[in-house]
Amino acid sequence: MKKLSPIAYVPRRETVQTASLAPVAVYLGAYLLVCFFSSDPLVLVAATAGAALAGFGCGAGRAVKFSLKLGGFLALTMVIVNALVTSRGATVLARLGDWPILGRVDVTAEAIAAGGVIGLRAMGTMVVIGVWSACVDPDRILQAVHGVARRSALTATLISRLVPLAATDYARIGEAAALRGPGATPVGRGAMAHRLLAGSLDRAVDVAATLELRGYGMDHGPTRFRAVPSRWDRRFWLAGSILMATAIVELFLGAGRFETYPEIGYSPGFEVPLVAAAFLLGGLVTWRRGRR
Amino acid sequence: MNPVASQRASGLALEFRDLGYRYSGAETPALEEIDLAVEPGEFIVLAGSSGSGKTSLLRAACGLIPHFHGGEISGSALVGGRSTLEAGPGELADVAGYVAQDPETQIVSTTVAAELDLPLRFRGDHPAERSRAVEEVALALGIPHLLPRTVTTLSGGEMQRVALAVALVTRPPLILLDEPTSQLDPVSGDELIWLLRRLNEEWGVAVVLAEHRLERCLAAADRVVAMDDGRIGFDGEPRGFLDWAIAKRPELATPSALIFAGAGIEPLPVGVREARRTLRDLRVTRTDSDEISSGSAGAVESSSVIPEPSGERSVVLGSSRLWVELDPGNGPVDVLRGIDLEIRAGEKVALMGRNGAGKSTLLRTAAGLIDPVSGKVETPQGIALLTQNPGDFLVRESVGDELEGPVGQAALAAVGLDVPADRDPRDLSGGERQRLALAIALAGRMEGAAVPGLVCLDEPTRGMDRGLKGHLTGLADRLAAQGAAVLISTHDVEFAVTFADRVVLLGDGEVIADAGMPTVLSGGWYFASEAARVFDRPGLVSIGQGIEFLRSSRARSDEELR
Repeated sequence: MKKLSPIAYVPRRETVQTASLAPVAVYLGAYLLVCFFSSDPLVLVAATAGAALAGFGCGAGRAVKFSLKLGGFLALTMVIVNALVTSRGATVLARLGDWPILGRVDVTAEAIAAGGVIGLRAMGTMVVIGVWSACVDPDRILQAVHGVARRSALTATLISRLVPLAATDYARIGEAAALRGPGATPVGRGAMAHRLLAGSLDRAVDVAATLELRGYGMDHGPTRFRAVPSRWDRRFWLAGSILMATAIVELFLGAGRFETYPEIGYSPGFEVPLVAAAFLLGGLVTWRRGRR
Repeated sequence: MNPVASQRASGLALEFRDLGYRYSGAETPALEEIDLAVEPGEFIVLAGSSGSGKTSLLRAACGLIPHFHGGEISGSALVGGRSTLEAGPGELADVAGYVAQDPETQIVSTTVAAELDLPLRFRGDHPAERSRAVEEVALALGIPHLLPRTVTTLSGGEMQRVALAVALVTRPPLILLDEPTSQLDPVSGDELIWLLRRLNEEWGVAVVLAEHRLERCLAAADRVVAMDDGRIGFDGEPRGFLDWAIAKRPELATPSALIFAGAGIEPLPVGVREARRTLRDLRVTRTDSDEISSGSAGAVESSSVIPEPSGERSVVLGSSRLWVELDPGNGPVDVLRGIDLEIRAGEKVALMGRNGAGKSTLLRTAAGLIDPVSGKVETPQGIALLTQNPGDFLVRESVGDELEGPVGQAALAAVGLDVPADRDPRDLSGGERQRLALAIALAGRMEGAAVPGLVCLDEPTRGMDRGLKGHLTGLADRLAAQGAAVLISTHDVEFAVTFADRVVLLGDGEVIADAGMPTVLSGGWYFASEAARVFDRPGLVSIGQGIEFLRSSRARSDEELR
């Protein structure tokens, strides 16, 4: 039985999965924009929570949990690394003396706060990407870019297929390595990498042969695609537009609102709770009545 | 009239004239002097041992040879009136669909619907036409429920059907299949063959099917083409093929043909139905045979219990209330459900069951790769497991690098592999690679000359001809003689007959039958050998038993007549 990646696309009859690509892109794009560029911790927390809510609402809870775990780990790492490598900031919490390579290490509250903001950004971005990956059919994305860049679409198709095949090969070869008798030469990383590379090349040849057989290379002009209407499109257009506008306003107004150096300073205006509430409540857009 | 136009007029689905082909850098040609014509609507089975040229012939028919594989080609090859020397695989996609051995490498999209849509998209069809073609081919192959599924969630059988649907979606008049049942259980394999027959009859699709397990597909064929060292050794009707095979290549003959030939009965039967009809005509009916066998001691052994291991043999695999749960991505599923099993030293056990029954999971759990959620499994004298693809074990440049020193030599000796240490594992034959992989799994696990208590092989017969399966049976005998129990998971009933003395049948994660091999493999429809299906008699499963039974039966009939 094959185990699916937690963020692998799974077709479901839910809102995001059945809606058209463009409104979903606007909707999740607003979250991505604010998570990636905002430096306001309150807005970042609200946007991350909203994106997670959106994921849970369309059945991508597993992807959300995975992204939160991975994002949390990344955030923690960033906080620690930033605290150790950045000595800027007026509020020194601990003096750790001289370290090899790093030199004099002073842990400051400002460096921790700056690392925290970067970590929050990473976590929010991970959640949005996780929801997108688990809910948006890659074939529809490829169809969308096909008319614009056919070769790129094909390359993306090849990569999207070869990556899971390489992952399967890696798992199988790793398992075989674990099953080798203690008297056999151990499988070093070099031998493993060499074997994987050779296997990937074989796989690529097979996939290329398949594409040849399917008729790739025949020039029949641009391909037309049938638009699949969805009753959720209007909802995502509306919510996405509002959130996108809010995100753009936030990026203009929010600059400099939260300062970390030389001292932590936070001067939230009247708009911060509104922006945070918009992104938090925006997560409910993916929910629908009667969903179990 | 130019050659292409004349072929269009002749209306052949496929025509090779004096075709020869040599892969780039190869010393010997893969195909020589091939003359073959396939009529529209014909169902042809392509027989031959491993390496005889079946795959090369199919590749030449779909244009992969020479356009994709390069090499030197001579003669002419016309598919649907188009020369494969001029038209590439893409241009031939309209007239010939191709399904290769491994369906996993033939799927390039995320969902089944997108995969079926892909060739139509490349062809530039209108969206409305594409939607209809996808829907119709899905209905024809019974897979409309799979359309929204992602390809990563498909089972082997489902993936094989999808690969077939993709090849058919452009409605080509010719479909070429390279061992499509090699990864399927007997149920799915039979379903696929009859599905092909139905498409052949109802849609008029010409089928060229390369297959090792001929007993499965010969009855559906109009004609058999047997490849022999890159040449066509035989081309004719299935019955004629069986006569030829018995005389020239017995390893290609079906079990029922071997039984009838061994007992001196003609004509040789094409399939179980014909064999039974002949037996009825000869008055070897089930009632008669029962009476005959009751008086002929030892003619057919019937065992309803697991054969008692001789002496006090130790338990090498013991599982008690074993539950294993796996999560394929959409929630946990019980794959093994309360398995109680005991295997003793020296036993040769076939582990059977349909795709997804839990065979591989049981082996992997016994080897410690998966933790059970409850219950326990123990292998007190050690375990060596060879997974489905022996190539996964071969990571170095030479045999000597894989297995060094006296420990390596002992492991190679245990599996009976004697090849130079500087040989590249990739240059070994399929059987030799399998032995080397098993030696790698055994190395250092042997106490002196003794192999581990349990040696497991997961689906080792995929894509093997009968000769290679014979080697594998010899290997199992060798290991059992050294004191190991050998547990092999397999879909191949005829292989299980030659190898096993006990069969464990899994169904949906539970043991649904566990008894002596003759009992299990003569007691059903799908998990039954061809001899068992012909004679329908408890305990009669092997070719040798069938011959002996027929001979004694005929001798008794002759006596009665006198």
